[in-house]
Amino acid sequence: MTDLTLADLDRDEALGEALETLYGSTRAAFLRRAAFGGAAMLGAMAVPSPAAAAVTDLEILNFGLRFEYLQATFYTQADELGTIKRMIPRKQEWAHVLGAHERAHVKILKSVLGPKAAKRPFFDFHGTTETDDAFTRTAVAMEDLTVALLAGVTPQIQDRGLTAALFGLLTVEARHAAWARNIVGATPAAAAFDDPRSLGEVRTVVRRTGFVVQRPSTTMRRRAPQMTG
Amino acid sequence: MTQLDVGRGSGRWTRGQALRAAVVGGAAVGGGALLGRGLDAGASAAAPSVARDQEIMGFLLQLEQVQEALYRAAIKAGRIDGELREYVRAVAPQETEHVAFLAKGAAGKAGKPPPSDFSDVIHTPEGFRRAAIDLEELTLAAYIGQGANLTRDAVGGLARLVSVEARQAAWLRDIAGEMPAPRVADPARSPDEVLTALRDRSYIL
Repeated sequence: MTDLTLADLDRDEALGEALETLYGSTRAAFLRRAAFGGAAMLGAMAVPSPAAAAVTDLEILNFGLRFEYLQATFYTQADELGTIKRMIPRKQEWAHVLGAHERAHVKILKSVLGPKAAKRPFFDFHGTTETDDAFTRTAVAMEDLTVALLAGVTPQIQDRGLTAALFGLLTVEARHAAWARNIVGATPAAAAFDDPRSLGEVRTVVRRTGFVVQRPSTTMRRRAPQMTG
Repeated sequence: MTQLDVGRGSGRWTRGQALRAAVVGGAAVGGGALLGRGLDAGASAAAPSVARDQEIMGFLLQLEQVQEALYRAAIKAGRIDGELREYVRAVAPQETEHVAFLAKGAAGKAGKPPPSDFSDVIHTPEGFRRAAIDLEELTLAAYIGQGANLTRDAVGGLARLVSVEARQAAWLRDIAGEMPAPRVADPARSPDEVLTALRDRSYIL
């Protein structure tokens, strides 16, 4: 088993382009070769930045909700397009369970936030929900990014009860990431410690993927062939 | 299967199930008797402090030491191969790093490693898998149970560690043919519950 690199995952370069914009072409090239999720990559991404502005629990939870919406919609769309159905059984189970979990996480966060919950954003996954390969690579990247996000924001939460709750979500997202990495033959637990990422860093990466859009697309890019018997 | 488990092929959740999972996952668990020392039963109501962090890390250290002992015993016994061997070779050094991290965090509150006995489980892959899954899951639940009792500095360190424990648990379960992520939110358990479970299974003496 080998460590997975971003280049392995991100052949469409959605995340790679974001890194290039963020860190320049030389560093981005290094990051593409670095083990994804490993200390080398995330350590390199931790560029010096101005002191992070304090964020409120509400901001953290609403960002988490939007991120869960992104994940839930990603899995749901792959299911609706028939992409998951075309996978081998082991991967179908994985994708179905993760989709169910992410949809449940949306419900949990909406319930916690109540009327202060952010609205569901619109998404365009640029074809990554349409093929097994693109879907799988993107899912692995998203799950590792979720772990880094929760590891980064959980210490910033002021409410102690919420801290414990986020621990319980962090561990599930880490299970997802490990399962996904095992599916693609990457080391599920590559280092003794996961590297955290700030809300701002994750927001920038997500923005650069172009997955979040201003308005809904009116048509699906490509639907699975309809079986008419 | 409990109501919180997602079985193979099951993909739908009711709102009630999700919320129940959220409540379980978010439960702040109070302290209890530790190995040879005590956390006050009502300590979870107290404000987090450095001293409290050290007590908690001392408790978590002992759980990591038990895991480390299992993996060392399994390597020494030499009865595992294939994916399981690959898992142990990757995870054992990580547990050693976790032990070192927690020993530093516990400072003067670090106790001796608890006496453990894995002689009954390390001679078959099945026995080892069962014990390792038990230990990984109990350790995870113990970390989650202490989430509300820690200072933010301690949360920052342990969040990076607990996610790796979860990765290990999922990896091992996948190797064993068990659901790697069986719940939408992982549950918390108190120190008493964790230690009782370890003793009931004769993993610690």
